[in-house]
Amino acid sequence: MRILTALSLALGGLVLGQQAQAAEDFLAGIPRNQVLIAENPEGTVTDPSNFNLWVPKPNGTSTGLQQLCMDTLWYIDPDQGLNGKVWDNSLAADKPQYNKDFNEMTVKLRPGIMWSDGVEFTADDVVYTVQTLMADPGGFNDGARMAANVDTVSAPDKDTVVFKLKKPNSRFHAAFTVRWSATWIMPKHVFEKQEKPSKYNFNPPVCLGSYKLKSFDPNGAWFIWQRRDDWQKTTLARFGEPGPNYVAYIDPGPPDKRVILQQNHQLDIIHDTSPEGAFALIKSSPTSHGWFKGFPYAHPDPTLPMVVLNDQLEKFKNPDVRWALALLIDMKAVDMASYRGAATISAIDVPPTGTYPHYYFEPMEQWLKDFTIDTGKRTIHPYDPNMGKEIADMLRPSMGAAIPKDPQAIAAAFGRGWWKQDPQAAAELLEKAGLKEIGGKWMLPDGTPFTITISTEGDNRPVMTRAGSIIAQQWTQAGIDSKIDALPTAMWSNMFNGQNEATMAWTVETWGGHPDLSFFLDSWHSQFLSDPGKFQPPRNWQRWKDPELDKIIEQIRAIDFDDPKGIELGQDFVKLAVKNMPNIPLMSYNVFTIMDSTYWTGYPSAETDPYTDPVPNWGNTKYMMVKLKPAGAQ
Amino acid sequence: MAAYALYVLRRSGQFVLVVFVGINIAFFVTHATPIDPITAAIAAATRFSQADPQAVQLTREALRELYGLQGNLWQQYVVFWMRVARADFGPSLSAFPTPVSTLIWRALPWTFGLLSVATLISWGLGNLLGGLAGYYRRNVPLKLVGVVASGLQPIPNYVMAFIVLVLFGYVWPILPITGSSQINLPQGWTLAYFQSVFQHALLPVLSLVLVGTGAWFIGMRALVSNIVTEDYVAYAELGGVDRWRILISYVMRNALLTQVTGLALSLGLIFNGAVITEVVFGYPGLGNLLIRAVYAGDYSLVIGIASTSIIAVAFAALVIDLVLPLLDPRVRVA
Repeated sequence: MRILTALSLALGGLVLGQQAQAAEDFLAGIPRNQVLIAENPEGTVTDPSNFNLWVPKPNGTSTGLQQLCMDTLWYIDPDQGLNGKVWDNSLAADKPQYNKDFNEMTVKLRPGIMWSDGVEFTADDVVYTVQTLMADPGGFNDGARMAANVDTVSAPDKDTVVFKLKKPNSRFHAAFTVRWSATWIMPKHVFEKQEKPSKYNFNPPVCLGSYKLKSFDPNGAWFIWQRRDDWQKTTLARFGEPGPNYVAYIDPGPPDKRVILQQNHQLDIIHDTSPEGAFALIKSSPTSHGWFKGFPYAHPDPTLPMVVLNDQLEKFKNPDVRWALALLIDMKAVDMASYRGAATISAIDVPPTGTYPHYYFEPMEQWLKDFTIDTGKRTIHPYDPNMGKEIADMLRPSMGAAIPKDPQAIAAAFGRGWWKQDPQAAAELLEKAGLKEIGGKWMLPDGTPFTITISTEGDNRPVMTRAGSIIAQQWTQAGIDSKIDALPTAMWSNMFNGQNEATMAWTVETWGGHPDLSFFLDSWHSQFLSDPGKFQPPRNWQRWKDPELDKIIEQIRAIDFDDPKGIELGQDFVKLAVKNMPNIPLMSYNVFTIMDSTYWTGYPSAETDPYTDPVPNWGNTKYMMVKLKPAGAQ
Repeated sequence: MAAYALYVLRRSGQFVLVVFVGINIAFFVTHATPIDPITAAIAAATRFSQADPQAVQLTREALRELYGLQGNLWQQYVVFWMRVARADFGPSLSAFPTPVSTLIWRALPWTFGLLSVATLISWGLGNLLGGLAGYYRRNVPLKLVGVVASGLQPIPNYVMAFIVLVLFGYVWPILPITGSSQINLPQGWTLAYFQSVFQHALLPVLSLVLVGTGAWFIGMRALVSNIVTEDYVAYAELGGVDRWRILISYVMRNALLTQVTGLALSLGLIFNGAVITEVVFGYPGLGNLLIRAVYAGDYSLVIGIASTSIIAVAFAALVIDLVLPLLDPRVRVA
């Protein structure tokens, strides 16, 4: 027995030794304790030597380029922000100043900021960026947006930029405000030498951020960024010295490999993995942890996965039908099937994340409890305020102490309420809408069977596919023949082109930290609605049209971004959406970002310091750098 | 000789026809997919950021013009063949304006290196062991090899890839599990770089060899089992010819003809890439590139890779057909 024990210990020691060595040898020429290694969720970059991120391309943005090298005027944090401030004047010295008609925006710039090649950043860079984008609307991502909005842009002095707009736009600054990304500022002195700026590969990139490019894989699998010697001349310096000397963004491969790499301490931040992978990793690796200390571990991103119904289709035009479909869903089963219980549910059309519980969920809880619908035969209160708590209770026997007990903590982790599953009320609503049940199957008013195809991304997004499968099962059990279509590559295209019935996707994304809903809501105005089957630009893919919705959007357009009335209007929108159920909101997009504390500490955390979103492909990730400190290991 | 010349002419005509039909199929299949590269590009650019609907419409029109996707399918087809005639597949739509050929040439050496080494090792090992097992039918260790090879052969590549990845990347982490060389090691003609490339190729090659050897082993063993019953082998044995000489010169040499044909076709298939193996190990080859092209709706790149593969396979078959009559007098050309 002793021999066996000794042998086991020796083998264990050998494996641990190999793990430590593997971690040390992972990068050539850089000590492991000086580099933060994060996952680039884009995978391998197709054209790695092209750093021109102003042009349309499917990857090459989250390589650290937008997180560490770029900068722009403002940032809004999706969580609570450094020092509790969600708004950060980055290259700008102050908030945007609009005239009273919102057709002119003045920006004062922060002085003393330098490009990584030693040239001073000035208003000329901003003016050049806007003019260059406007001049080539097809060549640049934001070219058409600038061309549609900007009449003239000028720099009265080196620290001031004045935008004269073609039409009033109280949210024009959003173009230069990072929520994941934004319009980044170009170095005029570099791009002006190029004959065709949209064809320039910008290699090596000249940076405004605190890091500059050190090296990259010609095959696109990794990018390494080095802290600038003059980091004090960057906007991040206001918060202190960035911790890691180097940051590597790598393609770690499929989810199982990400878990193995972190167990070998070769990957400090996993961008996302499967719920099962995250649970296994946290259980087996004491240094690995998520946003929440306990279950559900994942970070709820300010994005709202939902069943997007194509409201232009005859069968979904009636709100009673859409409500019936919502009432046929057993949200607890959807939560278990999709996220294995680790979802943060939302009954309303805003994500339950960042500061939104404070602005929307808490103040609207009573309204939701009082909300009624007329089924044609009776009036019901569809809202179950205890759904989040019930999910937590359901998980407690298997997950034990990982499940919080405090009601506020439960609401933050699992969400609050959702709609009670009520097949009887759903049947009454369908009858009210003119449908008939014949032989256990529902028939549309025109006599044809009521069937639904739910499009999913298949194995590309297994969590959403599993949610779609269980919803299809539940609708089928109720007599509406439903199936899922796995379209890993075509789901989004189909939705853009109106070729979908129901889709497991999202049409709601918010700032997270700021209550203004224009980020997604402005695009829901009927002025942008396309004809059935025609290309629908982001994001009203439910193709919902309502005069009251237009009125709310127009009122939001007419007030300042920070006007408290914006929250009231936002709540009015939520109420209108609840009444009409244009889509069926499910939960926030929970990202299983898992961080390893072997080499670095100071990651954001829901409980101790929710200063930013830990998901490392966000432009906002730059704020993490000043909080990260070496753990002193190895 | 005239008969052979006629045969070469006829066979070359078939080659041209196969390539023409294959590339046409690649063109129409990719254009029939529901993925629209313009929508894919817009979706990628607007997925997480704020998008101005009016601007998106303008961008859409501008991109269609920029990518050269105006006109109907027939017009695009004509432009396509005019480009192919100049050996140009145009710019990649997902890495615009980088030419498709640049991306293929960047990925090709990795796939070629990985698959040619794995194929040759599998072929050599499988045939050697298969030949021995077919000849020494009562040898216990060779029977055991047969059991193992037959057991491994039906395992799908992706399962084997994950098995070796978990074994040598996690349980006993002695080999790198991702990429083609060490991160931050400059590419160049240095010993350190070649050592690193060798080390990073070990697991992908091992996973391909473990599965690939079985098929060659089983084939060779069956061929040799038949040949050893031939009269000339029995006479040689009765005549006291050395058994190794009988095995190598009389048995395996005759059996190899079929296996060489198989090898040539396998080498042609190298240009398909080992999609799953490359994705699992993060290997920067054609298979990995193809997957990314499909997901991005980049049909220029998909057609470019498919055409490379079609030409390579058809060419390998052509070479075999032209060489075999010269090597084996039993093959008739007319």
